[in-house]
Amino acid sequence: MATLIVDNVFKRFGGVAALEAVSVEFRSGEIHAVLGENGAGKSTLMNVMSGFVRPDRGTVLLNGTSIPLGIAFACKQMGIEMIHQHFTLTPAFSVEENLALARLDRLATTIDTKALAGKALAIAKSLEWEVDPSARTGQLPVGVQQRIEILKALSGEAEVLIFDEPTAVLSPSEVEDLFRVLRRLRDEGKCLILIAHKLSEVLGVADWVTVLRNGRVVATAPRDEVDSDKLAFWMVGQMPDRASRSDSKERVDGLTVRSLSIKGDRGEASVSNATFEIRQGEILGFGGVDGNGQVELAETLAQIRKHSSGAVLWCGRPFGSDLPRIGYVPQDRQTDGLALRMSIRDNMLVSALHRPSFWSGPLIRAKQVGAWVDSLIDRFSIKAESGSDLTGKLSGGNQQKVIVSRILDDEPGLLVVLNPGRGLDIKATEYVYDVLLAARDRGAAIALFSTDLDELYSLSDRVLFMLRGQLVDATGASAMLGG
Amino acid sequence: MKRLVGISLYPIGLLLILVATLAFFKVPVRDGLGLLYSGAVGDRFAWSRMAVKSTPMLLTGLGMVVAWRGGIYNIGGEGQFIVGGIFGGTVARFAVFTSHPWSPWLATSGILVACVAGGAAWAWLAGWLYLRRGVEVVISTILLNFIALQFLGYCCSGPLQEKAKQVPLTDALPDEVMLPKLSRQMDAHFGVVLAIMAALLIYTYLFRTRAGFRVRLVGENPRMARANRIDAGRAKIQAMVVSGALCGLAGGIEYLGMSGQLGTGFSQQWGFLGIPVALLGGLHPLACILSASVFGALLAGAENLARYTPTGSTLVYVIQAVAVLGYVGIKAYRDRLPAVEA
Repeated sequence: MATLIVDNVFKRFGGVAALEAVSVEFRSGEIHAVLGENGAGKSTLMNVMSGFVRPDRGTVLLNGTSIPLGIAFACKQMGIEMIHQHFTLTPAFSVEENLALARLDRLATTIDTKALAGKALAIAKSLEWEVDPSARTGQLPVGVQQRIEILKALSGEAEVLIFDEPTAVLSPSEVEDLFRVLRRLRDEGKCLILIAHKLSEVLGVADWVTVLRNGRVVATAPRDEVDSDKLAFWMVGQMPDRASRSDSKERVDGLTVRSLSIKGDRGEASVSNATFEIRQGEILGFGGVDGNGQVELAETLAQIRKHSSGAVLWCGRPFGSDLPRIGYVPQDRQTDGLALRMSIRDNMLVSALHRPSFWSGPLIRAKQVGAWVDSLIDRFSIKAESGSDLTGKLSGGNQQKVIVSRILDDEPGLLVVLNPGRGLDIKATEYVYDVLLAARDRGAAIALFSTDLDELYSLSDRVLFMLRGQLVDATGASAMLGG
Repeated sequence: MKRLVGISLYPIGLLLILVATLAFFKVPVRDGLGLLYSGAVGDRFAWSRMAVKSTPMLLTGLGMVVAWRGGIYNIGGEGQFIVGGIFGGTVARFAVFTSHPWSPWLATSGILVACVAGGAAWAWLAGWLYLRRGVEVVISTILLNFIALQFLGYCCSGPLQEKAKQVPLTDALPDEVMLPKLSRQMDAHFGVVLAIMAALLIYTYLFRTRAGFRVRLVGENPRMARANRIDAGRAKIQAMVVSGALCGLAGGIEYLGMSGQLGTGFSQQWGFLGIPVALLGGLHPLACILSASVFGALLAGAENLARYTPTGSTLVYVIQAVAVLGYVGIKAYRDRLPAVEA
């Protein structure tokens, strides 16, 4: 039986305290959820436990022995495995090669991928997962990639499994399946630690809950003694008011899309014959499981991807060079949304390149830009010391805020948004939703793509679903989602 | 404070490398260091030599900085330097060596502008091949270096050869067309000032202008640039053209400041030496002034060393290579992906 004890751990990044005097005990045969707002210290805690971050003070004990702090590889050998929020797979490798890579203990050796990956594939079978060992990993849907990430962890002698926001990228049915697997691993006696931001999911699967706020442990309690109100109170102090939906009355012509067909990156037909309208001051939701053409359609609406046939019109005319102003919140904020090695300022400036007030001749007016960046950091409560901080050092939630703030401040006429609440905590999610609704009320036409049904229905005026590149309405979709 | 300690480690490391290299080649370390020192900064003549050696490296180094910041790996500084020289030599043919020569001031500027244009055109070619035909810039620029060198050889024994048609060189430019010098006895010329001005200009371009911002953005994350409808191809071509222009300017300044004529030995690896300058300067234009000076000092010092010991200036290339490898190693170690906090 394994116990992982975090004992009085401290960690600071720059001037910000990420963890202060954190002590928690995780036991085997239990699913222990760790909750908290963005920047509460959840991921830092996970990274300390898995050896990716060395704490300034304090220790972590596995079965009474101190783990090699800050040495991820050695922690792994001790049986502590982490399933990262951003996958650590090699996209160009086949599934089998990725699984083998995780079990490679020396570099200078001949490699028998089949043998090395064998155990993981056997586990996949026992978990009733269908995995094609020869498939190219980068081309698989995120849900399947996550399974491979989990298989990598299970194929070692893992006693402790740490999941960093595993449900963030999954559709409801995939989440159910993940939880089935988590429960099964718990019953096999593994120690499972789960970071999740959705209270309903935590309450559905966890046995114990620990809540962090501003780097400190607020409470640790068994599942039966808490409910979502209590957890929310622990996390944020007080629940923010839910955005009230003020239905906008006036609706003006906006986006018209007629029999649109789009080819994907490999020339496959990813969207076919899509026809819809989004008026100004309206949010049209696009639901469905990832990989059914959402990204391709979103990129086409945002004028990033060309379509192969059909028409995209704004107020009845083809898009002009500046009309409508388009705001695009991409699905993957780290690869498409941000330049991680550039400052917050530079990342915000991207959306303001066209503003005359920020330029005189070819030169940037640094003072004006700086003031604007500070105002956005302030208005969107982005946790950073200054605008010159690198975005790569921000927490996921704050990274999303950088993107959303720069785009919404631009007052786009057409807003294309993919999974805006993904990986965000309650407060930040509410905030992003409020801003989206405000943009709608201001008269923006918004295309909202989301795999999260709650998000979809709480924001959208109308909802369509995407299934293999086709648009279907909610009735058609219920069949597809399995009721 | 920690940062200051970190920076002060570089000169110490460089000194260690110097000592180790000298020792390895069995040069008496004390005497060797003394010769390097007096040759690089021992008196005002040494300073002048150092400045003159640093100048072309600074310019080609700046060229690498711009291209690499834009995510386009220009290795063709050498070719762009040479083609710049050829363009300049061609203009000199019509502006200086005719029956009706232009006024010296006009001829000098005309030659310099032609050099810049030549370098830019040669780099543009590689950029165009990359965007339109998908030819890797690393490959194409290296090959274009060879083409440029062969073309220079042809020009020097063909259309641009000196009047007597005896040696493969162009006519030597008259003194009044050459860049003004600090004094008669010293090498230091106006090109040194031009190079430092170029460093300031490139700093402004990269960090204070909209165009430079786009170049950096495309270099850092082309996918993000795409998602924001920034034309990555345009930014890359621009970076390449600016890069080539700088290398061409380096060629022009070498031509008008030092050699005064073209031959197959016109570029003393200046295009390639820009690469370590850019790397050691951390791809920052102003830091390149420092790194170019360090390498310039090494080259100037090594000339002194070569005069007194059998060890040639090749020693310097060894030192340079070790320094760059060491720096790249340290950087790779420090840039390990930081843990993401959330």
